[in-house]
Amino acid sequence: MTKKTILKSVTVNLVTLFLFCLLITPAVQAKVFNAKTFTLDNGLEVVVVENDRAPVITHMIWYKVGAADEIAGFSGMAHYLEHLLFKGTEKVASGDFSKIVKQNGGNDNAFTSYDYTAYFQSISNDHLEKMMEMEADRMMNAKPPATHYTSEKNVVLEERRQNTENDPRALFNEQMRSMLFVNHPYGTPIIGWMDEIKTYEWKDVKEFYDKWYAPNNAVLVISGAVTVGQVKKLAEKTYGTLPRKDIPKRNRPVLPPSIAETELHMEHSSIHQASFQRSYLVPSYATNRKDALALDILQEILSGGPTARLYKSLVIEQKIAISAGLSYSSDGLDYGSLWIYGKPTKYKTLTDVKNALMIEIQKVIDNGVTEQEVFDAIRRVQDSAVYNRDSLAGPAMIIGRGLTTGQNLDSIENWPEDIAAITVQDVQNAAQKYLNSHSPWIRAPISGFISPKILEGETK
Amino acid sequence: MHIIYYTLIFILISLPVRANERFLDIQEVKSKNGLTAWLVEDHSLPIIAMQFSFKGSGSINDPAEKQGRSKLLSNTLDEGAGNIDSQNFQKKLRDNSIALGFSNSRDHFNGHLKTLTRYKEEAFNLLNLALTKPKFDKEPIERMKQANISRIRSSLTNPKWIAARIQNDLIYKGHPYALNSGGTISSLQNLTADDLREFKDNYLTKDRLIIGVMGDITKEELQTQLDRIFGDLPDKQKNIQEMPAPEHKNGVYFYQKNIPQTVINISFPAFDRKDPDYYAAQVFNYILGGGGFGSRLMEQAREKEGMTYGIYSSLDFLDNAQKLYISTSTKNDTVPRMLEIIDQEIKRIKTEGITDKELQNAKDYITGSLPLSLTSTNKIAKLLISLQKNERPLNYLDQYKNNINSITKEDVLRVAQRILKEEKINTVLVGKSSQKNNITILKELPNVQ
Repeated sequence: MTKKTILKSVTVNLVTLFLFCLLITPAVQAKVFNAKTFTLDNGLEVVVVENDRAPVITHMIWYKVGAADEIAGFSGMAHYLEHLLFKGTEKVASGDFSKIVKQNGGNDNAFTSYDYTAYFQSISNDHLEKMMEMEADRMMNAKPPATHYTSEKNVVLEERRQNTENDPRALFNEQMRSMLFVNHPYGTPIIGWMDEIKTYEWKDVKEFYDKWYAPNNAVLVISGAVTVGQVKKLAEKTYGTLPRKDIPKRNRPVLPPSIAETELHMEHSSIHQASFQRSYLVPSYATNRKDALALDILQEILSGGPTARLYKSLVIEQKIAISAGLSYSSDGLDYGSLWIYGKPTKYKTLTDVKNALMIEIQKVIDNGVTEQEVFDAIRRVQDSAVYNRDSLAGPAMIIGRGLTTGQNLDSIENWPEDIAAITVQDVQNAAQKYLNSHSPWIRAPISGFISPKILEGETK
Repeated sequence: MHIIYYTLIFILISLPVRANERFLDIQEVKSKNGLTAWLVEDHSLPIIAMQFSFKGSGSINDPAEKQGRSKLLSNTLDEGAGNIDSQNFQKKLRDNSIALGFSNSRDHFNGHLKTLTRYKEEAFNLLNLALTKPKFDKEPIERMKQANISRIRSSLTNPKWIAARIQNDLIYKGHPYALNSGGTISSLQNLTADDLREFKDNYLTKDRLIIGVMGDITKEELQTQLDRIFGDLPDKQKNIQEMPAPEHKNGVYFYQKNIPQTVINISFPAFDRKDPDYYAAQVFNYILGGGGFGSRLMEQAREKEGMTYGIYSSLDFLDNAQKLYISTSTKNDTVPRMLEIIDQEIKRIKTEGITDKELQNAKDYITGSLPLSLTSTNKIAKLLISLQKNERPLNYLDQYKNNINSITKEDVLRVAQRILKEEKINTVLVGKSSQKNNITILKELPNVQ
């Protein structure tokens, strides 16, 4: 009905971010952005994508800290902090940040993920300095009034109810993740567990903030009608006055091996459409770039639209499923994950869908993919590079996300070239390495089955 | 090879949208055969985006037993055309990185095309085939029906979807708007290829067609391409039906769902976009709840009381009925307080009006944020089509700023009093609420099964 998106504090999971990048999941393309970069004396890395189609800019600050850096028991703290950063400093009163942006004709927002937290404004280019001034101010001087600690906590609890507690499928997905990433924070929801969100206080959050928010632990990305020379001058004047800090090492737990496959089953009275999904632990761009590139091509071949293998086989030819696909989450600093999924037609079961998906995966493991498929996939991915530039915030999103998840500007700019080097053999090797049930799993896959619960006396 | 191609893009970057004094340099392009399109030329990226609509050809024309007809047509037009079957049609789109698709709204039937310049011939050709020679093969029709039924079943888990479905039924009583534009589980099953063909022939006609184009194409070329793409469509819509006037049902309606947070949707009748108060309504809505942070509803319900993740108001200008909506959600036991807050804010803006500062802030945002609608090829094409849908003149955007800036506090107060009539409030609650007084409990969802 209302088509407004909820502003501010969007908890981004990796899958959502894919949608942002238009066509193809992965980071980026060949020198499409032609980004310029410099680093301030205090260590702040700055990237500028000049684009003067309209007299506006997107100004984004990315911190190399996220939900995966929280201490156990404090889940959701990175996200709660993100909310509190809209609650004022010595100079800007609580709530005024967004109001000032709006009064200048701009929009602002922020989001928290596992490995990064980002804040941004899109606004007329003559207000860039004001944005930089305010964003630099809240990097170190946040001072939310005490009256807001509880009310904002309640807002976060409502956010969790709205997006998760009100939907059994979202709760189920949380459980899937917690099984796949057992002993690792990627298994904890970014927004936090309901009961843990309620426990921590501002002094805990402040400690986290003081520890991680610093110019030398951030990346500033500006896209739009501005030159690198102008940005440099303004960045030195605003962010340049902030002191650098000693940033602690990010100590991330390691996933223990698991040899047994797990299945989760849920029957729920609120579910009216059954669905199947299965998740595999795979590398990310940060942990194994070569294999990640191959998995991106695999995703395009298996799931890049209605003529791709999975939809064609399960939905059109066999009529087992209403929908079927594969989604590769490639941007984790520590691990990636790959998901296959499908919804059965009326006369088929979730097990039918699972078996049919597994047969398609096995075909790739046994017989590989064709030269033509790889060639076509590479071309499409390269075409998407041109489309990715056709946006104001898009390039800043892609670059910021890449730079805070283990990539560098060269690897982001060279992505289409690198992906063009992927061969048929690379794709088959990746499938054999990560999707083959005969290989020793690091983590065995998790299969999830969601189905309607038919109550007594009810007919479907 | 690709490298050279990409480098070229940078050399060509220019400033198309602010080349002269006009806010956006829109050209009206007329083809030899009398088709009209609005064009913004921009050769900075090798991309062409086209949006088009058949005005008044939306799901408003679907009878109750054929709900979902225009939706199913939008799903199947690109599933094979000419002598190209569904898979090959989709493969041609995919191989050439062409985004081509159709959609329905309650008023209009819409289409969009986005292509890289080097694939434009194939793109225009496929669009022409989809519009003029769709195959409507049995397999894709059946597949799309099942996909829609599955979508409806999935939506049944979503309390926001349920609330919207119920509210539509209540605020458009007696009018086709009350029906389900996505179809019902049974109506979708009854639709046939003949239904789709008949609808297409009668409603996708040139007299209804509006077109917006943005990007790497010249006026001269577009003139030729318009006739090539759309020239074969029938000239005139055959039968234009008279629509009954919708009735807006007031009252509080409740649908029980076992969830921790209740969804709240509120609706008032508004007035149409030709009304002199249209601009004042934009300002009024921004201040009440359209502006997100800083709006009255958001300040009270979220910032002061921490009762919700979001609360918004919005205006919806359909051709035959217009509404103001307020939507939010809060945990079940704070529903009464939330309704109280909304009630207080409604009374306050109606009696006290707004402040000078609120008025100025709203004007600054509404006029200042206009350039943010020009940041991508698709966004501009969409802007061009929405101007035409709303029957705005070519220079509308140039006048818009003045129209907004001339609004006074008195104008906003008048609009608040015109729209926020207590006897008209329609409230729909989906969730678990303890409130039981003066509410109608609904057990069935209208137009779903």
